[in-house]
Amino acid sequence: MNDFAGMEELLSDFLLEAGEMLSDVDSKLMDLEKRPNDAGLLNEIFRGFHTIKGGAGFLNATELVALCHLTENLFDKLRNRELTLSAELMDTIFAATAEVRRMFGALQQNLQPTPAPAEMLENLKAALDGKPIVKSVASTTPPAQPVAATLPDTTPGVAPVPDGVDWNALYGALTGTDIVAKVGATRDPEKIASAISEEESTKKAFGRRGADAPGTTVGRRDGDVAPKEAKETTIRVDTDRLDQVLNLSGEIGLTKNRLTHLRSDIMQGRNDADTLRELDRSVTQLDMLVVNLQNAVMKTRMQPIGRLFKKYPRLARDLARSLGKDVELVLVGEETEMDKTMIEDLNDPLVHLVRNAVDHGVETIEGRIAAGKPEKSIVELSARQEGDHILITITDDGRGMRPEVIRNKAIEKGLITNEIANTLDEKQCLELIFLPGFSTKDEISSVSGRGVGMDVVKTNISKLNGTIDIHSEPGRGSVFTIALPLTLAILPVLILRLGEQSFAVPLSMVREILSVTPEQLQQVSGRATMVVRGEVLPVLPLAQLIGWEASDVPPEVGVLMQFGNNSFILSADGFAGHDDVVIKSLDTFRPKGVAGVTMSSEGDIVLILDIKELLSDVRGH
Amino acid sequence: MGIENTRFLVVDDFSTMRRIVRNLLKELGFTNVQEAEDGVQALAKLRVDEFDFVVSDWNMPNMTGIELLRNIRADAKLKHLPVLMVTAEAKKENIIEAAQAGASGYVVKPFTAATLDEKLKKIFANMQK
Repeated sequence: MNDFAGMEELLSDFLLEAGEMLSDVDSKLMDLEKRPNDAGLLNEIFRGFHTIKGGAGFLNATELVALCHLTENLFDKLRNRELTLSAELMDTIFAATAEVRRMFGALQQNLQPTPAPAEMLENLKAALDGKPIVKSVASTTPPAQPVAATLPDTTPGVAPVPDGVDWNALYGALTGTDIVAKVGATRDPEKIASAISEEESTKKAFGRRGADAPGTTVGRRDGDVAPKEAKETTIRVDTDRLDQVLNLSGEIGLTKNRLTHLRSDIMQGRNDADTLRELDRSVTQLDMLVVNLQNAVMKTRMQPIGRLFKKYPRLARDLARSLGKDVELVLVGEETEMDKTMIEDLNDPLVHLVRNAVDHGVETIEGRIAAGKPEKSIVELSARQEGDHILITITDDGRGMRPEVIRNKAIEKGLITNEIANTLDEKQCLELIFLPGFSTKDEISSVSGRGVGMDVVKTNISKLNGTIDIHSEPGRGSVFTIALPLTLAILPVLILRLGEQSFAVPLSMVREILSVTPEQLQQVSGRATMVVRGEVLPVLPLAQLIGWEASDVPPEVGVLMQFGNNSFILSADGFAGHDDVVIKSLDTFRPKGVAGVTMSSEGDIVLILDIKELLSDVRGH
Repeated sequence: MGIENTRFLVVDDFSTMRRIVRNLLKELGFTNVQEAEDGVQALAKLRVDEFDFVVSDWNMPNMTGIELLRNIRADAKLKHLPVLMVTAEAKKENIIEAAQAGASGYVVKPFTAATLDEKLKKIFANMQK
């Protein structure tokens, strides 16, 4: 079923841009709750609905136009001080934006949206007339209603054209030589107005335009179809960034020409010092240009994480209200840029963590008063870049988590045995919440509509080569910290040698490179360890990790690896330098502990190791 | 100069809309089209490059379409330019305002290529007089 055959491109452009605009409107609405008289905000929200309406018109999305039209008019009156905001009105507006989002969901599936619930439209109209809103609409997506009940009246499909005139006819009045052609010649509003009223009678004809396509929305329901967000297949890139790519590829072309020229010289036997120096210079230049090009291309994939963050204050607000809590979600570092793919894949985990913070993290208003805290809780969602990593934290000022409670719950649920539980320190206890099956059933239904548990959050983050860490202080609140690599595309690595084979480990995990001599190794309970500046660290031979037979020659070099709070020394036969590699994933065949492959400068295959996976294997034994 | 070489400047803050207008113009055989995101950017472009026709949205941040129109009419070098106002502001007072500010035409969203063609033709016809 496709209501938009031939318009797919327009539709996807519209959804991308209008979707961003709607998120923007949503976050401005949240601001508006705090500053209800901010003229700038009112104006911007007005423009948001206005623009969405304009675009929707070209898609013949009459129901979306109708809804945006009412909302836009409402904001027109609000910004002109003809109406004032009340809490009920705010709820109605929030419900309307949720409804607009539902309609976007339908459009995403190439379906014309069904009408908004009649009650919502009535409320908007009542508000426009300055009448009190009788029933407040739940600010979440209303339940689907029978089609017949949602149709506003007996004229389905009629475009809700605002009161207006036949512009085509009016156009003549406007452009007639006598009136406007000579600018300023006639500035007589009376005359123009009379021209307008003359054509007033034809305005019904214009109204009928929408009726030319009757039945397009009748009998179709999208309410049942869960609006699943399709993955965006397009990206918006700053033209400056694209120009940079273009410049660099141009320069690479020039350098290539130079090299081609040098090659023919050398082939003809010219290998004097000048020629070789020139060759060296050109290759060096090419090297630099390619690195710059890689960075520039990568930058085209970078998007500000604010695009994602913007969706959550509304989510937090709605959930908090339904739970009788007062929560403000504060966003920090929205301008931080991340790879587009990662931003998309982060949505589900972040939705869950935000909901988790609002639902379990912070207390009810009564609970907070009893604990001597301010009524309003602050949940902070922040992003920042640290080195080659992005850190995202979700901090709440709620009740915090008590390690012993979590430990007991895990034992209760049979996830761990008493013996194991007793060996866990406080931090490890907190991490039990990431075990599959830790979240209770009712939590899954009420908190995360998608049925995502904390274990899935962790799995999703791991898929992005990221880690998640918890810190919690009972009574003070909890902090979840997600660390992610900047991009998935290019990875700086250290290349190790084992026999003839090369292996790469992510440079971000490498803290130090050491030489390992048999004298330095000490056996502690059957395991090799080495003391580095007073710290006793386990030494794990790479050969052992990947299951190779130990060679006769003991490993000579060690790499001090660190991730999270774990440090160890990975020993191998030697180094082959460091490199920025493009990861080729192994889709169908993926040996354990291998994240992907790449090619070395000599043309050899290099396996990129997934250290975490390798270690989990060792720990399992 | 053939009419199909008319140099258009399409002004709208919504890029989807600029694309729609650009496509409609292309359908009508006009391929020389540049874009601006708001009145300020449009005015800057108009003062640097040569244009024959401005198609502008009304409601934009920084500088609205009507302000752009007034600026164009107040500029000795630009005031001859035909300006077609494209907007969803389907209100009488808006049209009067546009007419008084010197709009060459007014078209309400959504519109088809045929409607646009008709409007353009009328404006071109008026210019010949």
